[in-house]
Amino acid sequence: MILEIKPIFHALCRSKVGAILLLIQIAITTAIVSNAAFIIQDRVTYLNQETGYPEDEILAFHVMHFGKDVQSHQQFELDEAMLRALPGVKDAIYINNIPLSGSGSSSDFSINSAPEPGLSARTAYFFTDDHAINTLGVELVAGRNFTQDEIVVTNDNDQRANATIVTQALLNELFPDEEGLGKTIFLGDIPLKVVGVIKHAKGPWLKDSRPNNIALIPYINPNISGNFLVRTASNERADIAKQIEDAMLKNYNKRVIIRIRGLDQDKAQYMAEDTLMMRMLVVLITILLLVTALGIFGLTLFNINKRTKQIGTRRALGARKSAIVNYFLAENALICIAGLVLGVIAALILGQLLMQHFSIAALPLGYVVATAIMVFIMSLLAVFGPAKRAANISPSIATRTI
Amino acid sequence: MLVHYIDLSWRSFKRTPLVSFLMVLAIAIGIGITMTSLSVYHMMSADPIPHKSSQLFSVQLQIMDDGSTWWTSDNQPLQLTYQDAANLYQSQVGAQRLKMVRSGFSVYIDSDKVKPFSQSARLTTPEFFNMFDLEFLHGSKWSQQQEDNAAPVVVISEELNNKLFAGKNSVGQVIYLDDASYEVIGVTKNWPLTIKYYDLNNGAFNQPEQLFMPFSLLEAKQLGNWGNTNGWKHEDVRSFTAKLQSEMVWIQFWVELKTEQQKNDYENYLLAYMQEQQKLGRFNRKELAFGLRDVNQWMAYNNVVSEDNKILVALSFMFLAVCLANILGLLLAKFLRRAPEVGVRRALGANKRQIFMQHIIEVAMLGLLGGLLGIVFAQFGLLGVRQSYSYYESLATMDLSMLLSAPLIAISTCVIAGLYPAWLVCKTNPAIYLKSQ
Repeated sequence: MILEIKPIFHALCRSKVGAILLLIQIAITTAIVSNAAFIIQDRVTYLNQETGYPEDEILAFHVMHFGKDVQSHQQFELDEAMLRALPGVKDAIYINNIPLSGSGSSSDFSINSAPEPGLSARTAYFFTDDHAINTLGVELVAGRNFTQDEIVVTNDNDQRANATIVTQALLNELFPDEEGLGKTIFLGDIPLKVVGVIKHAKGPWLKDSRPNNIALIPYINPNISGNFLVRTASNERADIAKQIEDAMLKNYNKRVIIRIRGLDQDKAQYMAEDTLMMRMLVVLITILLLVTALGIFGLTLFNINKRTKQIGTRRALGARKSAIVNYFLAENALICIAGLVLGVIAALILGQLLMQHFSIAALPLGYVVATAIMVFIMSLLAVFGPAKRAANISPSIATRTI
Repeated sequence: MLVHYIDLSWRSFKRTPLVSFLMVLAIAIGIGITMTSLSVYHMMSADPIPHKSSQLFSVQLQIMDDGSTWWTSDNQPLQLTYQDAANLYQSQVGAQRLKMVRSGFSVYIDSDKVKPFSQSARLTTPEFFNMFDLEFLHGSKWSQQQEDNAAPVVVISEELNNKLFAGKNSVGQVIYLDDASYEVIGVTKNWPLTIKYYDLNNGAFNQPEQLFMPFSLLEAKQLGNWGNTNGWKHEDVRSFTAKLQSEMVWIQFWVELKTEQQKNDYENYLLAYMQEQQKLGRFNRKELAFGLRDVNQWMAYNNVVSEDNKILVALSFMFLAVCLANILGLLLAKFLRRAPEVGVRRALGANKRQIFMQHIIEVAMLGLLGGLLGIVFAQFGLLGVRQSYSYYESLATMDLSMLLSAPLIAISTCVIAGLYPAWLVCKTNPAIYLKSQ
């Protein structure tokens, strides 16, 4: 095989253009595929992240009051009780914002009361009650749930809550070296004692700089609108969803019930742009690899047609079939390796450009190497068929025509 | 001559249908992929109000103390405080100006036929309709006096008018928003916007609001904000009045400046305003800063075109390059095989230029076919985009300019690919081929 490289190289030099075209295709393909694969992998990780919630068991909806003959905070308490009593409902809560929905409230929680400076962490907070742990399906790993006397239900803005249950992530950030459970943290100048710790939960924004910093606060002071979460068995969720509007309006009818949907739908909506990007990239690289493989296939066929006589002559002079196959495989490998060297460089440059201009991490070399190996194998496979055909060219061809 | 060349290329197409088909397919796939991402990009970045996009400016003031940070590229908040918006509006500087905020209501009428529903609303000053080119189907906007008096009036959209009043002229009718009644004084014509450029905060591709009301109702009725409210320092805000006096930012402000002179004057005015406010202890900064961006700058500043889309456009043009290399290879094979025929034509008197033109026209025809098929592919691509992400419903479409550029890009790609093979084939020396036959 080694000995053949020199004549192959000479032969290539005589049909430079075809070889160069193939080389360019392989180089660009490698550059695109390795970068796209990296972005796809990044999105897949993002799309499949653990949110901490049994999303397919949770329903969310929004309520807006337009009647002024009830107080929202009292009405919502009645609604909660009604929802919890519905057959099939495991638990239900009022909550000011819906996790994973892209809409919520956040603030810097500090270890000191404002305006005194101190270590602080960006945190999404939810106003809800002691049923939140069960409804959200999150795991309480330390401490306890809220007690009844910690829950503040009011329409007076001067009343404040004094307890909170937070995620482990938030506690780790605020108290890196000590036990945070039992400590007091501050939302502005409001002191909140950490009474419980949730293992893991995501806030309203999965793309937040601190998506895992969550605080639940037992405080129900809605204005004229609010959100509810209802937990059911996943197979009963659709049935319950149909009953909600009527049940809520039966409880009180001067209001609008909107956006009844599953938590998984909310998440899908929030992630739709990334799902789309991932799908488009998958389509792009699939078709690209197909086009490149076909290109290699076509070009080899063309080369073989051009060299029918040469191959016949070689066969007539005693070359084995395997020698002919090897010849074409080696020729292709030669072009391919040159293309891959260029391609690896191009991939790294493209990765650099993407990193400079967009918020995309540096392209790991592993993706480039894996892509290069894959493209190499693919090109060998594409060549194998035409090469076998070439090997079957009869030696008599060489003698038949001049 | 052109017709003859086109005829020749059709014959050539029929003679090698497989290779020709492969070439058309290659270009069509390339165009399909490229046009899918390019169309979305084009719709996202299109100028929403071309004739005055350079005269409408979104105003930002750097309200935050030194050391505070924001997520925008120049660290400035996107909205104004209530008091700054009120002051700038009162000043009368600039050709026209408006302040606004997004809110929303439960909407119902005295009829059992329409179930109460929720609808977002725009609280704004009457200049809104002029500045953003809204037209009226019935009635008109509210007067400055109604604005000053917080009159309970509302302008509704054509779509909402259809829903509530079955499309009849509803001027003078009463609708209920939450617990209060409002008189309909105008119905606006359909306002098709692909980009909600006047308020990019809660989704740049959402539909415009369908209720428009005097801004002064915000304070009079203590209405909630359906957009963003952002604080940047600790403030004890427990009441609506406290919110109006706070340094939280939540009001949007636009000004129309028709000349460069007006723009300069406005910039000076903003600086003078901030210096004035510094005497009251606000704008605690070493360097005062403001933002005055026109519609297109505002969209770029708010990253309306997503990064993902830019990456996709770049990658798909690289994809097109791969297709180009493929076509070039196939053209080489096809044209060189035809060398004997070209030899005969040359011998019969065709000059090099004619041979060259003939082949370029042949590849251009391939490009045209590929471009047309590419549009079909792109339609499937865009259909896929729309189904994957309904929010892109109005964006994932091809407008006329994109439909025209598809064959144009396809033809130029093919001609670029065809240059070398055509040049090669027109160099053919007629003698060789005449001899061997």
